[in-house]
Amino acid sequence: MRILLSWLREFVEIPESPRRLADALTMAGLAVDAVAQEQGETVLELDVTPNRPDALSHLGVARDVGALFGLPVRRPQIRLAEDARPAHERASIEIADPDLCPRYTGRVAVGVTAGPAPDWMRRRLELCGIRSINNIADITNYVLLECGQPTHAFDLDTLRGPRIIARRARSGELLTTLDGVQRTLRPEQLVIADQDRAVALAGIMGGGETEITARTRNVLIESAFFEPASIRKTARQHGLHTEASHRFERGADIEAAPWANDRIACLLTELAGATVLRGRLDAYPSPQRRAAIPLRAAAVARHLGVEIPWDEVRRMLTSLDFLVEDGQVIPPAGRLDVEREIDLIEEIARIWGYDRFPLRLPEWSGESRPAENAAKTARVRQTARALGYDEAITYAFLSPAEAGQFGSWPAVPVLNPLSEFQNVMRNSAAPGMLRAIEWNLNRGQSDVRLFEIGRLYQPGPQGHAEPPVLALAATGRAGGKQLDFYDLKADVGRLLALFDGGVIGLDPETEASYYHPGHSARARLGGQAVARFGRIHPDLAAERKFRQPVFLAEIWLDRLLPLPLREPHYRPLPRVPPVGRDFSLLMPDGVAFGQIVEAVGQREYLVRLEPVEIFRGDQAPPGKYSLLLRAVWQRDDASLTDEQVNQYALHLVETLRHRFGAEQRT
Amino acid sequence: MSIADKVTRTLAELGTDPAALYSELGELFDGELRQAGAPEDVKHLRDRWLGRKQGLLTAANDHWLKAAGREIKPAVGKLQNTLKTRIEQAMEAASGRTQTARAEPPLDITLPGPVRIIGARHPVGIVLDEIEEIFRSMGYSVYEGPEIESDYYNFEALNFPEHHPARDAMDTIFLTDRMLLRTHTSPCQIRIMEKQRPPLRYIVPGKVYRHDAPDASHSPMFHQVEGFAVDEKISFCDLKGTLDHFLKRLFGPTVRTRFRASFFPFTEPSAEVDVSCIFCGGSGCRVCKHTGFIEVLGCGMIDPAVYGYVGYDPERYSGFAFGMGVDRVAMLRYDINDIQLLFQGDARFLSQFR
Repeated sequence: MRILLSWLREFVEIPESPRRLADALTMAGLAVDAVAQEQGETVLELDVTPNRPDALSHLGVARDVGALFGLPVRRPQIRLAEDARPAHERASIEIADPDLCPRYTGRVAVGVTAGPAPDWMRRRLELCGIRSINNIADITNYVLLECGQPTHAFDLDTLRGPRIIARRARSGELLTTLDGVQRTLRPEQLVIADQDRAVALAGIMGGGETEITARTRNVLIESAFFEPASIRKTARQHGLHTEASHRFERGADIEAAPWANDRIACLLTELAGATVLRGRLDAYPSPQRRAAIPLRAAAVARHLGVEIPWDEVRRMLTSLDFLVEDGQVIPPAGRLDVEREIDLIEEIARIWGYDRFPLRLPEWSGESRPAENAAKTARVRQTARALGYDEAITYAFLSPAEAGQFGSWPAVPVLNPLSEFQNVMRNSAAPGMLRAIEWNLNRGQSDVRLFEIGRLYQPGPQGHAEPPVLALAATGRAGGKQLDFYDLKADVGRLLALFDGGVIGLDPETEASYYHPGHSARARLGGQAVARFGRIHPDLAAERKFRQPVFLAEIWLDRLLPLPLREPHYRPLPRVPPVGRDFSLLMPDGVAFGQIVEAVGQREYLVRLEPVEIFRGDQAPPGKYSLLLRAVWQRDDASLTDEQVNQYALHLVETLRHRFGAEQRT
Repeated sequence: MSIADKVTRTLAELGTDPAALYSELGELFDGELRQAGAPEDVKHLRDRWLGRKQGLLTAANDHWLKAAGREIKPAVGKLQNTLKTRIEQAMEAASGRTQTARAEPPLDITLPGPVRIIGARHPVGIVLDEIEEIFRSMGYSVYEGPEIESDYYNFEALNFPEHHPARDAMDTIFLTDRMLLRTHTSPCQIRIMEKQRPPLRYIVPGKVYRHDAPDASHSPMFHQVEGFAVDEKISFCDLKGTLDHFLKRLFGPTVRTRFRASFFPFTEPSAEVDVSCIFCGGSGCRVCKHTGFIEVLGCGMIDPAVYGYVGYDPERYSGFAFGMGVDRVAMLRYDINDIQLLFQGDARFLSQFR
């Protein structure tokens, strides 16, 4: 809403500078976004909150200015000279649906000369952002900006029959509005009609056929009150948002309707040569009276924390046109936002000044609890970072193609998506991570490790589930070498080992087509699948034009977080150092390290079995590979003798020879 | 007389117990040895003590031992020998130490060491953690609710009537007619109040969604922290005091806060809170658009209508609520000019927060 300082000054003396005025209004809830100088005028740009339609006019703003600075507000005087001929001979009003139109006033002006409005009026309209059309339309808009009441002028001679009817539209009824759009109406939408047809979309936009033109001689002025929710629904259904609908859907001033009508009639006589017929048509079947609201000093003090003298309370409310009597307050008709005691308290607080309330800290005794799983998530996050992964946050939306390719359940669709690439909720963390990798590779960042902790979205019988997930993505070099499957395996292992869930097991089947079969695995904890990871499928890599291996891990936090964190448990330190032996072995191809470990099994004092080096190809005979295996023995309470260790070593090699046909190299 | 002078006199002249003299001489050596670091120092020390002409130990041998009376000579000889052995051994050890270090050529200490990467915290996470820490210290608990919400929790129970323009301010992403992506974390107010009775102090961090086309200052997904307190006797002054305290801890003790009247359907009275510009201190700059203030949160006293949805007696309880955009705070703090950077996973951006 643009407010002209010079126009405002017609209603209230403003002693303050524009800057001070803007600050005062801003503090009191009418936020002034900018104070601009345009064509020698000071223009205040107001951002009016939806509860304050009363402030969408110069008079409305003047009222707040008056209250804030303790100044009187002068309304324009109307001196209307009416013709002897009565208006009701030319037009009458019928409200068929008073629930949607509680009041409708009309005036008839004849003999108008349509033409341009005077310069001063056109200038004000244009400074306020409204295009000048002709003197009649401009006058209605001028009064709109003056007092906030939207009105409409019909070319009386285009109306069929003397009767104007405010009624619900007939199903499928057609109306071509001023913007030239033919609209099909629905039976819940309110229209203004003559005896044959709808002539206006009530409170939103007039019809083209009854519009004011250069040939217009006689005019019917409408000034009414329409039910806010109905206006809003209808405007939305037609994709319309007009100055009128903006105000009516927020709530107009039902008592201002006749005043605005008279004001327009008056301006038509002054500026368009009109003769106004006698009498105002006013259909107001059940006049509304605002209920008195009890206001208690104790309630004011309880909510605001300060005792404000009652005289001050009375003065502030009175200056806003509230009637204050014996602890009862009647708000003005245009303040539909004020219905309850708390609404009055808000008015008191904002006029008193928010900056005048002292700072206080409330008393408190009680505990402060972290979010569920906060400690566990913090450990996961800390570990992922310690492993060298940067934390990323990616969008929760996917394209249907991504959801289909990566997700393991049907994705939750978005009804009004931002784009076709964001029209389902993610059912997998993989696409977001891959997009991030792609983003980095395309920008010359070839060494990237990222993690994200976020939610997936899953439809379910009892509403949606939002299972938390941890995703890792890695590519390029780290720690002086190219990352490979085993780096991911170790990192996933570290993260899983935070939880006390039993033995970590692996199987080669990920059940996800986007992993490289044979270079990926699924991890189980205590028998439950908790993660899958590995290199992404070469086809997918080719599709994304990745020229280096990219690794991905998905860890199902919804399965891990119910487990307790692993608690350290101290074991006494051994008193003697361990003894290690290396074995250079030729193993038949196809014997997995896991099989070797399994074959060796649990042995007395054997504490570790690890692969030191593996050679394939040239350095090993065909069908075999060379394995340097290290075994470490340790006895807590005494030294192991060489003889004993030799015995163990012999037995170990014997087992491998027997099980796999392993040969020991010399 | 210093011990260095005493070695030029005979025991008879000094008239002191020889054991005490040798002990004093030993202490002098120990002190000088401790001072010696460089190889030159060690060489100098050797000349001073063991030199054939002026060496202190040689002087002691000449003046004390050689001139000693026959009856005390064996004892003095023993003292002289013990000290000499000790000094010789110490000198040997000292020169060996410096020689080993000298044998290794010095390093080029300007070469870089291998950088072991510790992953970065996300800037939004850093700010979220800090906000959480401040409110935990004020007795607030933390709750996280669902991102997929019903119309009831996101709007209706927060006193947003179905056909009310207040809903326009929150362009909503809908999943169905009645289900949506929460536009704020305020629905958790209702979820918590439905299950618990006052006194309550909670904050609710989390992701929220708006139907905003992405650009440098808009994102369809961002982060918010909602907070609220309900008890008997909570007033607007408590709201002001709590948020002033919070914002001073978040932005620094010198910021000033400003509470402006505003409107939210679920609070009344409502306020927008500004802090004096953290860049220019309030004198006006590009960041605060020359207003001296930056808007950081919305707040207000919880509207009694909300208590109606959760069965609290509005005559007994009162409280306040506030909501703050976390991404914007992170952007202010780290001078980030494009919100999209937060959600791209660009390693060049993220690694700056390591």
